[in-house]
Amino acid sequence: MTSSAATPIPVTVLTGYLGAGKTTLLNRILTENHGKKYAVVINEFGEVGIDNDLVVNADEEIFEMNNGCICCTVRGDLIRIIGGLMKRADKLDGMIIETTGLADPAPVAQTFFTDDDVRAKTRLDAIVTVVDAKFFLDRLNDSHEAEEQVAFADVILLNKTDLVSAEELNAVEAKIREINKYAKVFHTQKSEIELDKILDRGAFDLQRILSVEPEFLDEHHHHHEHDGEITSTSVTIDGPVNPERFRMWISGVLREKGQDILRSKGVLAVEGEDRRLVFQGVHMLMDSNWGQTWKPGDARTSKMVFIGRKLDNDALRRGFLACAQKR
Amino acid sequence: MSTAGTATPPQQALEVGGYVVGLGFTNDGRVAVATGAGKLVFVTGAATAASITGEVAVHRGASLSFARDPAGDAFLSGGDDGRLVRVGADGATGELLDTKGKWIDALASSARRGLIAASAGKQVHLLKAGTVQVLGPHPSTVTDVSFSPDGSRLAATHYGGVSIHLTDRPGEKPRTLAWKGSHLAVRYSPNTKFVATATQENAIHVWRLASGADMQMQGYLTKVKSLAWSADSNWLVSSGAEIAVCWGFAGKGPEGQPPLELNTHSVGATVTQVAAHPTGPFMALGFSHGAVEIADLEKKRVLPLAERVDSPVSAIAWSPDGWRVVAGTESGVLRLVDLKPKS
Repeated sequence: MTSSAATPIPVTVLTGYLGAGKTTLLNRILTENHGKKYAVVINEFGEVGIDNDLVVNADEEIFEMNNGCICCTVRGDLIRIIGGLMKRADKLDGMIIETTGLADPAPVAQTFFTDDDVRAKTRLDAIVTVVDAKFFLDRLNDSHEAEEQVAFADVILLNKTDLVSAEELNAVEAKIREINKYAKVFHTQKSEIELDKILDRGAFDLQRILSVEPEFLDEHHHHHEHDGEITSTSVTIDGPVNPERFRMWISGVLREKGQDILRSKGVLAVEGEDRRLVFQGVHMLMDSNWGQTWKPGDARTSKMVFIGRKLDNDALRRGFLACAQKR
Repeated sequence: MSTAGTATPPQQALEVGGYVVGLGFTNDGRVAVATGAGKLVFVTGAATAASITGEVAVHRGASLSFARDPAGDAFLSGGDDGRLVRVGADGATGELLDTKGKWIDALASSARRGLIAASAGKQVHLLKAGTVQVLGPHPSTVTDVSFSPDGSRLAATHYGGVSIHLTDRPGEKPRTLAWKGSHLAVRYSPNTKFVATATQENAIHVWRLASGADMQMQGYLTKVKSLAWSADSNWLVSSGAEIAVCWGFAGKGPEGQPPLELNTHSVGATVTQVAAHPTGPFMALGFSHGAVEIADLEKKRVLPLAERVDSPVSAIAWSPDGWRVVAGTESGVLRLVDLKPKS
């Protein structure tokens, strides 16, 4: 087969409601002296104030795939833009895709599962969501996009922390955790953050989710009657999965519940295999790859995370546990 | 793979320094190569002892689209810097259009009418003798353009189908050929009876222009990026499969008929680019691992031309006399093959 030795270019998707601080962050990425070459794809209302060869305007053309999957929408313009950027002779260190404040992150993420060329040449590194600490709770009340952007995130910049009190900040962070327990949260002011914390992190590699154990938050938030409907849950098997049984089960779950399950991620141990099986899904689309090698002394456990609406935690737990490799 | 038993025609490979975006021939037989490095590279056209004779810097970033100039011994290159540039066979350059950074994604020309079509975003710029008219906006970004053989019409494809413009009445509302989905390439048949598109969804779509009836051909392994009609319009050949998929348009057409499927010599690789011989029933095929082959549509067989180089063929072309094939890869390897028998 083809053996283009080129490593896939990491792509960061930048979401966040209007005014949260995305443009400030992008301007910093474009002006800071980091020695890296990033292509920045801005949305059609983007206000990046820098004239740069590698700033590309996107018109966010979303189209439905005629593949019978009702929630399968992708960004046609991204396929075209990534194709064009791949023709360039200069090697890119990364790509950042900004979405409009009102955008649902799903079509962008799904593009990376759907198009062969995009899959071959790029790697979805992380979805980074900028959250406005002052107005986030208000946004949740008047738009479901604000909630979805948090639900999809691998990394959250809780921004403008200087504009709120400590209590307000705690309330916002608790709300974020109700929606998405598994994202990495950074507190920022004026979107100031070291770029290596958000770019090329391998967040979509998901190794981290094994170490994220947010159970302590549950002690304070055991009431499940909160008004936002998106929640997250995880299940761990204390050992390897049977890959065939897992594949059957997860395909069934995503086929039936994929509209409600926004993100699914997993890092799985497989008997007789020294590498982690890394699984990720966005709605009904899924993909799995061999990830990093288990080190001696690593506990070879298998863990799945689901983020979505109306999650039947018990059914997901029972279903996943039944995928355990019988000894 | 081996080509034992087949005499390989004279050929040569050389590096041109960037993704090969487009290929053409000068009047004196040199090859012009538009690259992702934003250059037009000229190569001596002889298949043996080919070498780079010169290169012209054209764009700040990459060349994205390429066509033959409709008048004179020159080429057109559209770039990601938003500029459409004419480059003469002598290397002289002239800017024809500046869209202020809007990518020029697709280019076509009509020698018959001296027309150039350059798409940028949802608009198509129609150039004739120094004047520019704007077609559109179309429903979404235009991904490809194709002139009818006489240049009287221009097909522009975009999400949801094709818009057919009358080139002498650019202000008029275009005829719409609708088919839901993302279309990536469009080609008028040489007999002007059909318009075909390649689509994102592993299928091609064809309209009969007289009746407006349309047909969908699916079952490809991957999305289809490249389409070509044979010179006699009897065959429509496409990329996107491990075999050469040839739809027959002679007689009653392909409705209800399976395509002619020609096995290739590149097992495990898919066809990425196709180009029709200027006059005969031959189709040049470029593969995902860089091999080049020729389908003989009359004898219904495929001949190997050039071995794999481990990068997908991104452009392929025939010389105007039909005796040479030139192919370029994403990694910038150019191959020239001479088919002319030694006299």
